[in-house]
Amino acid sequence: MSDFDAIVVGAGCAGSVAAYTLASAGKSVLVVERGQYAGAKNMTGGRIYTHSLAKVFPNYQEAPLQRKVTHERISLMSPDSNFTIDYAARELEEAGKESYTVLRGPFDQWLAEQAENAGAEFIYGIAVEDLIIEDGKVKGILAFGDEITSDVVILADGVNSLLTSKAGLSKKAPAIHQVAVGAKETIELPADVVESRFLCNPGEGASWLFAGDCSNGIIGGAFVYANQESVSVGIVATMSEVLKQDIPVYQMLENFKNRPEIKPLIAGGKTVEYSGHVVPEGGIKMMPEIIGDGVVVAGDAAMLCMNLGYTVRGMDLAVESGAIAAKAVIKALDAGDTSKAGLADYKTMLDSSFIMRDMKMYEDAPEFLENCPGMFRGYPEMIRDIMTPLFKVDGEPRQHVMKLALPPVKRQGLFKLAKVAMKGVKAL
Amino acid sequence: MKIVVAVKVVADDQDIFVAGDRTLDYSKAHQVISSYDKNAIEAAAQLAAANDGTVTVISAATSKATDAKLKKDILSRGVDELIMVTDDALATADSFATAQVLKGIVEDKVSDYDLILTGDGSADFYAGQVNVQLAAALGVPTINEVTSIAAEGDKVVVERTLEEEVEEIEVPLPAVIAVSPSIGEPRIPGMREILAAGKKPSTVDELAGGVDAKIEIEEIKAPELAPRKQQIFEEGDIDAFAAAVAEALK
Repeated sequence: MSDFDAIVVGAGCAGSVAAYTLASAGKSVLVVERGQYAGAKNMTGGRIYTHSLAKVFPNYQEAPLQRKVTHERISLMSPDSNFTIDYAARELEEAGKESYTVLRGPFDQWLAEQAENAGAEFIYGIAVEDLIIEDGKVKGILAFGDEITSDVVILADGVNSLLTSKAGLSKKAPAIHQVAVGAKETIELPADVVESRFLCNPGEGASWLFAGDCSNGIIGGAFVYANQESVSVGIVATMSEVLKQDIPVYQMLENFKNRPEIKPLIAGGKTVEYSGHVVPEGGIKMMPEIIGDGVVVAGDAAMLCMNLGYTVRGMDLAVESGAIAAKAVIKALDAGDTSKAGLADYKTMLDSSFIMRDMKMYEDAPEFLENCPGMFRGYPEMIRDIMTPLFKVDGEPRQHVMKLALPPVKRQGLFKLAKVAMKGVKAL
Repeated sequence: MKIVVAVKVVADDQDIFVAGDRTLDYSKAHQVISSYDKNAIEAAAQLAAANDGTVTVISAATSKATDAKLKKDILSRGVDELIMVTDDALATADSFATAQVLKGIVEDKVSDYDLILTGDGSADFYAGQVNVQLAAALGVPTINEVTSIAAEGDKVVVERTLEEEVEEIEVPLPAVIAVSPSIGEPRIPGMREILAAGKKPSTVDELAGGVDAKIEIEEIKAPELAPRKQQIFEEGDIDAFAAAVAEALK
């Protein structure tokens, strides 16, 4: 007889949702989290698309989310210019389609609280060291000499999941071009200041993504999110490229914050949080096996993350995968078969969910972005060379738009641009 | 042997922020065990284990301290039972008032105690007075800055580590003893201990009769920051700079 029906490792989005779902079905669940509280070790840019959360928690609007995103801003940043699109649409604010800016500290604690109220037990401050494996089947966890057993272990221990490899499920460690490194500061400002700087109504916010010079011209980007009483500012850059740079990531972030476009957004604010994290960006190709005997993998640990440049997703996938994993585990527990075959429904359900549909659809996006250095250095400059003459009035003779636009485009190569555009349309 | 530990619950100091007007912002701080009291709990747990005893933690706290995580943290440290009495006025209560409330808990719930342990002082005020005042209120002997305890029948033998010597003192029971952190590193509770903690008895009652504070707190503010020297050296004046650095390091 095991101590618990299921043990969940990690109290992030996937872990707490899985625990909530299991506990709600009357299963005994233990969640073990290495941080002193849920969210202590977690990081997001970030924003969460709420569709999957709404399925699990119809009351999700009670969660400590920050601001509903009503402005989508995307910028191409050259060293001395910045081209921004600001898009707002009522449809993107509708329930089930909307997204919120979010801070993981308060949000993850709320999620854990829901699971705890449903009957899940939580242990904080303990890092699970190993899995108990007997005859190839995962039977429980081990930490500081204590063994705790369960019929199933759900690994939701994040992007750097050592347990996934201990369970024999991971492919070889992700290559350095498949992971990115992120650094973020949360800068505190009064709510009305945030609203006026981001042109938002009370309670509403903005997501702002940047490509180009913000990441020192390498593959990556920067982001700014308007929270309730703070602004999140950060940089994400592909690890393999970061290693070749002469400036470290924190310096990139510092440079970005000092850009004339960014400085007024955060002026007078106080940095209250500084964090760094690894982001899985390799897409479906870096996913581990997600089911083993007595074990399933969910969330970042399963590398469920999508970065398309204009949308970045991870938490909605984590929430959904946690919920699906729990449903499959409940079924396996009820059938009395928690072997790999007994848990097979997890994969079936995941495959038919939006998660794998979207992961498959954007399978080529990571490589497209990787093979498209112009997006990070070249195109922002091209846009500048088109836009600046358009707005420049200095008494010199003016030229027709066509004449203005063609030379910068030609410098990038008309044929090459068309090819990139075609590839982009296919991959994204 | 029935051991009682009086524990103070405080705001986690790493999450207390000083606002521009020097007031303290506690809004992000979780409630935690006052750090020196963790050593007292550990000393009690070890003494109980060596003498087939029990450990009961008592606390005079605010309603914020009824947090399940905090209770579990206390109960996962070799503690058998937790008895808490709450009143929000206890947040800034002076040592006398706190000792009176603790005395009430002891007389009501654990009057058959052999030994009461406390930390030398609390992580917030560090007045170091509660053990003395509690002992006075209960009419039992007390001693502080204790660095080891051994039970011997109806007394304990304690050590106080002074600068040049170690004092060894016999204290008749019942008694109140305040321990120094060097009595023993608090444990890091294991998974089994944390799980068991959830099933241990704990009672939380609202304080009847209110807090009899003798001291009124007007304001709590962070100290004013001393202005920095900001000594700027002329370019090329490397010798003067080096001399100033050397002087500062002396």
